[in-house]
Order: sequence, then C-alpha cells, then structure tokens
Amino acid sequence: MRIALAVNGSVHTLDVEPRASLLDALRDGVGLTGAKLGCERGECGTCTVLVRGRPIYSCLALACESQHVPIETIEGLANPPEQLHPIQRAFVAADALQCGFCTPGQILSATALLRDNPRPTDAEIKRAMAGNLCRCGTYPKIRKAIQAVTRASPRPSGRPAVRPSE
Amino acid sequence: MKRFVTTTVEVEGREETTVVEVPAFEPAPWGPDAALETVGERAPRLDGVEKVTGRARYTHDVRLPGMLHARVIRATVAAGRVTRLDLSRARALPGVRATLTGEDLPRIYWLGDEPLFGSAIHYWGQPIAALAADSDAVARDAVRLARVTYRSEPFRVRLPTGTESIRSGHFGVTPPETRREERGDVAAALRQADVTVTATYRVPVALHQALETHGSVVSWEGDRVTVYDSTQGIFRVRRELAEHLGIGQHQIRVISEYMGGGFGAKSSCGAYTVAAALLSKATGRPVRCVWDRHEECVDAGHRPETEFRVTAAARRDGTLVALDVEAWVAMGVVGWAGGPGKIFQEQYRCPNVRVAQHFWYGNVGGMEAFRGPFHVEGAFALESAIDLLASKLELDPLEVRRRNHATQDPAKARPYTTELLSECWDDVAKRIGWGAARKKKKKTGRFVRGLGMASQVWGAAGGPPAYALVRLNRDGTALVQTGTQDLGTGARTIFAQIAAAVLGLPLEDVRIVIGDTDAGPYTNTSWGSMTTPSVGPAVRMAAEDAKRQLFEIAAELLHSSPEQLKASRGRISVCGGEPSIAIRKITAQLGDIMIIGRGQRGPNPEGVTMRSFGAQAAEVEVDRLTGRVRVLRIVAAHDCGRVINPELAESQLHGGIILGLGYALFERRESDAKLGRPLNLGLHEYKIPTHADIPEIDARIISVADPAANHVGAKGLAEPPIIPTAPAIANAVFDALGVQVAELPLTPARVLEAIKTGSLDTH
Repeated sequence: MRIALAVNGSVHTLDVEPRASLLDALRDGVGLTGAKLGCERGECGTCTVLVRGRPIYSCLALACESQHVPIETIEGLANPPEQLHPIQRAFVAADALQCGFCTPGQILSATALLRDNPRPTDAEIKRAMAGNLCRCGTYPKIRKAIQAVTRASPRPSGRPAVRPSE
Repeated sequence: MKRFVTTTVEVEGREETTVVEVPAFEPAPWGPDAALETVGERAPRLDGVEKVTGRARYTHDVRLPGMLHARVIRATVAAGRVTRLDLSRARALPGVRATLTGEDLPRIYWLGDEPLFGSAIHYWGQPIAALAADSDAVARDAVRLARVTYRSEPFRVRLPTGTESIRSGHFGVTPPETRREERGDVAAALRQADVTVTATYRVPVALHQALETHGSVVSWEGDRVTVYDSTQGIFRVRRELAEHLGIGQHQIRVISEYMGGGFGAKSSCGAYTVAAALLSKATGRPVRCVWDRHEECVDAGHRPETEFRVTAAARRDGTLVALDVEAWVAMGVVGWAGGPGKIFQEQYRCPNVRVAQHFWYGNVGGMEAFRGPFHVEGAFALESAIDLLASKLELDPLEVRRRNHATQDPAKARPYTTELLSECWDDVAKRIGWGAARKKKKKTGRFVRGLGMASQVWGAAGGPPAYALVRLNRDGTALVQTGTQDLGTGARTIFAQIAAAVLGLPLEDVRIVIGDTDAGPYTNTSWGSMTTPSVGPAVRMAAEDAKRQLFEIAAELLHSSPEQLKASRGRISVCGGEPSIAIRKITAQLGDIMIIGRGQRGPNPEGVTMRSFGAQAAEVEVDRLTGRVRVLRIVAAHDCGRVINPELAESQLHGGIILGLGYALFERRESDAKLGRPLNLGLHEYKIPTHADIPEIDARIISVADPAANHVGAKGLAEPPIIPTAPAIANAVFDALGVQVAELPLTPARVLEAIKTGSLDTH
C-alpha cells in the first residue's frame, strides 16, 4: 500500500506492506537508519522516535497508522544539520555513549522529557528514561548529560527554582 | 636482520605461547612522569558526533543494492536427528530466492566434529537450514512454511545438582572433563588450620545481550567476498570464513566500522556469516543475515552456570592456610574450558590451593566468553568464602584481605610489574566509609543496611602480534591505520591520542582508520582486555617511526641533529629553544614523498607477571519483609597502568559495574528441564539493568603507568570492573542480614529463604 509519512518536516511517499512497522518504513523506506531494531517487541527502546513530540517504540507502531502526524527521528534533531542540538552536544561532552547503538533512542527520549519538563529531578529522569536500555552501562553519564542541559536551560518564569518536594 | 622469540600472551585466563618478531627498535617506555600532550586528556570521543546524529553505520544498517534477507530454520527439539526436512513450500513462496541445507554445503565443522546444518541436533534452536528472500518479512513467512520432522533423543539442559552424578551419554554431548591442580599440600594444611569454613555457591546462565544482535551482510562478487560484520575480531572472522569457504584470505574483506556491543560473544565467524556468504554466492546478490532478539538469547553464547564447593581455612589471625575448591561448569554443547578456579590461585597469598574443575557439556547452545569469563563466576565464590571466613574469625573482612595481600604472583611465585591492590582497598574503604561507619549500619527492623567489599585480579597485559601504520600527508595531517575494531570502548579515540602525542600534532589533525581488514594491518581480536596494551604500543611505534623520519629532515632545515628535536603543538623545535618549524611546512616541502611509519607490538617481558587489579565496595539496603535488595552505592578503585583517556576509562568502569549489578540482582536464563528449551527469551523476560536500577557509582582509576609491561605503560581495563561487583553486593547483603545468600542472582525469594533458614547452603 502507498502511504505518506511526515518525517523531520518532509513528506515521504512510500510503498509498504500493511504489516510494515513504522521502524521498517523509516529504515528501509525513508532510508533513515538512526533508529535501530534491538528487540522488535517494545522492550529495549533502540527504535525510539518522536510522534507528535512523544517518544514511541516505532517497532510496535504500524507504518500505515503513522500517517499525517509529525515524526521526528535522530537525523532531524540537529537543525541545521551541522549544528548539534544542545542535548546531542551534552551527550558527546559527558561521554554519554559507548557503542552508540542505543544512543539515538536515548537522545530522543531525553529530548521529549526536557521539552515537557525542562528541569526534571533525578527521579524524573530515571523514570522517563527507564524504557531505553543500554548494555554498555552509560546510564550515569546519560543522566549527567541531561542534567547538564537542565542546568544550562533558562529557568521558566513563574516557576520556583526549587520545587517544594525537592 | 629479524629476530624471532617466543613470548607469552594471556587471553582471558588462557596463556598462549607464540613466536613473535622482535621489532628493529622499541621506543623507551613512557614512565609515570613522562610529559605527554593529548595522552591522559579527557578528549571527547572522535566518533561521538557520528553516534549522536545517527550517522554511525552499524552492520544492521548496511543496505546494499539488491540485498536479500536471510533467516535460519532452527531445531525445535533439544536432542535428536532431523529425519525429514521439506523446504518445498518455503521455496514456492513468492519472493524466496534461495535455500541452503546441509546437502548444499561444503563440510563445515561447526559443533566439534559435527557439520554446520547437519542432521544431528544437540540443542533447541540449533540452525538446520537457511533461506534468503526479497524482504525479511517474506523470509520469516518462508521459515514458518518449512516442515521438519525429528527423532528425539534424551537430553540434559541443567547442571546436575547435589548428589546427582555427572555422566555422559546424553545425545551428542561430549563426556565431562576434569582438570585438577594443587599448590602445596591442602590436606595437611586443613588438618592444622584454626578455622575452616565450607560453602556451596551457585551462579546462573547469564546472557551478553548486546543491543546489536549478531549478524552479517555479505556480498560475493566474482572472486571477492565483502563482509560487514558485527564482530570483535575482523581478522579472526576473515581467517575462519576463508577456512570454511575454502578460499584465500586475500579474497575476503571484513568491515566492522561501528558495532553495537560484544562483551565477548562476537569473537568468531558466525553461522549467519557463512549462511549469508553462501546464499550470496548462490543468488549473486548481497545477503543480510541478522539474528533476532530471541535467537540472540538462544544461540549467541552465554556465561555458564557454575556450582562451587569451597573450603577456606585460616589461622586465628586471618592468615589463609588453604583454599580448596571444586567447580562444576555447565558449558553448553561446546565452549572453551577456562578456569573458574584460577582466581583462587591468583587473588590471595595462600600457600596451599587445590582446584578441581569439571566441565560438563549439555544440550544448550555453546557458551562464549563473557566479560571476565570464569573470573566473574569464581570471584563470587571466592570473595563470599572470604567474608564467611572473616565472620567466623570475627575479623573485619577487609583486614582478612589485607592480611593475605599477594605482593607477588602467588601462582607463579614471581614479581608483578606493578601492583596497587592495597592502594585500591585503601581508596575504596575511605570513600565508602568502611570501619566505624560499617559497624553503625542499621541491622534491625524491616530495612537493614550493609557494606561489602570485593577484590579483583585479571591478566590484561595484551601482547603481540599487532601492527599499525602512520602516514603523514602533504598538509601535515596524519592517518593512522590499524586492523583493530572499536566495540564501544573508545579504541578509535585512544589510538589517535597516542599517535597525536608522539607526533606533536593536535588531535583534530589525526585521523584513524580501523575496522577494515583491507585498510589496516593485523591486530588481535578485541578480547581479554587486550586492545589498548596490544595495539597501543604498535601505534606508538608507528608514530615514532614516522617522527624519526620527520626529524631527520627537520634537522637539516633547523641545522640541528634529530636527537635534539622535539615535536609539540604541530611544530618541531630544537629542545628548549628557537627556532621552530611547522610540521606542515616540512611535509609540504616533501611534496608527494610520503613519510610512512611502521609499528608493531614487541614481545612481553619475561619472568614477571602483569595484572590489572581493583577493589569495589557496595552499600545495600535489604527489605526483610519482601526480600528486595536495593543497591545504594558502589565505590570502585582500579589499577590498570596508564590511562590514555580518563573519561573513556571511567565509562568502562561504569559499564563493568552495571553489568555486574545485573548479574548480582536479576539476570539468569532459565531452561525447562522437560522441554529442553530456554524459557525467558527477550529483554522483558531476561532482565538487564535500566536507568531506574542504577545506584550512585563512584569509580576511578588510581594507577599511573606500568612502564615494565609495555612502552605505553597501559594495561587492560574492560573486564576488571565487572569482576568484583556481584561479590561486593553479595557481601553487603551478608553484612546487612548476617546470613549469606549463596546463589546469584540475589532474588527476593532467595533472600527471604536465607532469612528464614538463617543460612542457605552454608555450613
């Protein structure tokens, strides 16, 4: 079947099988291989992309049901491409990656977290990121990278610097 | 004239003696005080930007024009024989391009003497045929259309326990083998000991679970075979594939530019590589064959289940007089019989050590080396026994360790090149608050707390052969070529740092090419924590060779002699003064005459032992009501010689500790004894640590350089940090509860059982 996907601000028209996942369509149809297939069952998070700004496991989404919604992949995060997004810069600076296979998914989950909650607590980071597995053990440095972006971001007005719960 | 000598290289506890070429010259060692630019700096990973932008291309990402997708058909019995294999319906499916069965193959020995895709089945999930189709979805549909009938035979998937005898006779399985070694006289020492403890410790089957599953993309064109492979050893894959296919190594190019984790399981040529190659030859199209997550959990290796029976004996003051260990290892259908008892021989100064190691082969997929193989298992048993002994002696467990500190190699009775274990203990004890604070931890009520400590020793000195080339370009930039690969450790970055330090070039002027058998000279497989100490000296020597040539030319231009020159920040100057000249000016004058430096790893020193050491301490909180163990903090100090890049070294420490945390708390693959198949496949059923599981980790390296080990002064670091983590956590649980949980993982059920019985399997 012919579908249209809105990926990183461009519309791609593709022929896919009805059973094709969004991940398959991105990797084999659009040619964006930043999102990985690690488990194909929504367990590892390497396939994370943003749909309507929310992180999803693209291995569990059907391509044909992902039309007419904005999809963001790791390839679209640096905009313009030669200028890294602050969270990408923070990952490099904190060495928040080793083999790098889970990194695109980690960065997209972190991006969604920080858009929703620019100053997350440590517990909020752990909770929001717990669906993105890493076998190399980069978790402490990923947290450090997210905290570095948090510190660098301007404090939203009208919100207390430290919430009462902290 | 070339000279050849024999040298000993230790790989994951195995010692291999090989003949190596002695280099024409070897640079003077970089001592602890060597003033080095770039080396020792926290340089960001050179491939960091590739990885954060999704541009890094892994084997899984390789897409070649006309590429087909291969899948294998796997056995659904644990032992027996295929009596009928009917692929006619699979072949008839539109989009299926080729099938591959045992009959189509040259005789490729796979499981010992058994051929690949043979009819004898030795484990559930064993590959029996393969096929290639236009898409992965069609290939999977076709696999489901295969009709296979079997004649089942008796099998055995679990290690026999207790009084059950270990016997051969299960279908197609090698009889068990036993290795016994004894130092001193254990029986006599046990008779004279003041205090003796005996306990049984068990560790589970653990899976590597690299997030990039095993796989290859192979393109066979004419007489050339190009292999993209997620591997730890491009040269080993090339050699093995050439042997399997009966073609020359020069016909094969293996590429592993980026790979998504290995942890020991990606060291050889896989069935996926052979299948992809032969299907590519048959179809004339590139073929991709990649395991899915379930296949990864069944047929990609594991850390073997092991049972230890340990007796430790000491004098009243804590001095060890005897260690007596018997270990039963459930290997799987094939594997290498390493040394679960080796850490008992090496960690502490103990005059009498007896080791009996039984390797039992059963009907599950073959084991593979897994980060710190055998030492991780052995460390849990040894370090638990030491704490049990300390408890019986009513001594501080750290004091018992100190009393038995091995200041020289106790197994070979010879000196270490460098050894800082005592300093590791001091550092860890100070940071975790050992001593008075430990005694004050809460021991009553529902939530109790404890501190535990464990030590580590690991042969990680690397060795030859390993080669590198350094080419200087006309504009004064440099290209480093070496046939190693980067598993995520940062090898690419640290070798560029070493070359930059020698050449006096800024890091951004050095480019490094690795992971391609056609683009770099041979280096060994990235296992045994040996990449840095093996390839590092080769890269340094290649850069020194290039610099020597550069200095000969510069000496003419500067009216000086080469010995008086130094290179720094892109310029060459006469030592300590003016004038200086930019390196790019010299290379520009040479035009297209290229300076090429050649380097190789020289032999290891004789008569000394080279080891990496470390100590870790853990603080835990145990819920006595639910049995849940929460790790609050892990503190680690390691000694591995010179650190090329502290940022990357710290990342390695985190990685080892987090793998060890999973092993301690929740990882195990279960197999059903009646069905003969693994049960918990996938990352939901087989739990690995997530962000939410990570405690505070405070890990650092306290060593400076080991100039006697090699002239870079570096030893390996990848495996050491996983070794002490699980025993440190288990000892902390022991401290919190007052009873040991003698089996990993430390699940709530086992913790509750230990609390209830007061003691589990300990006497």
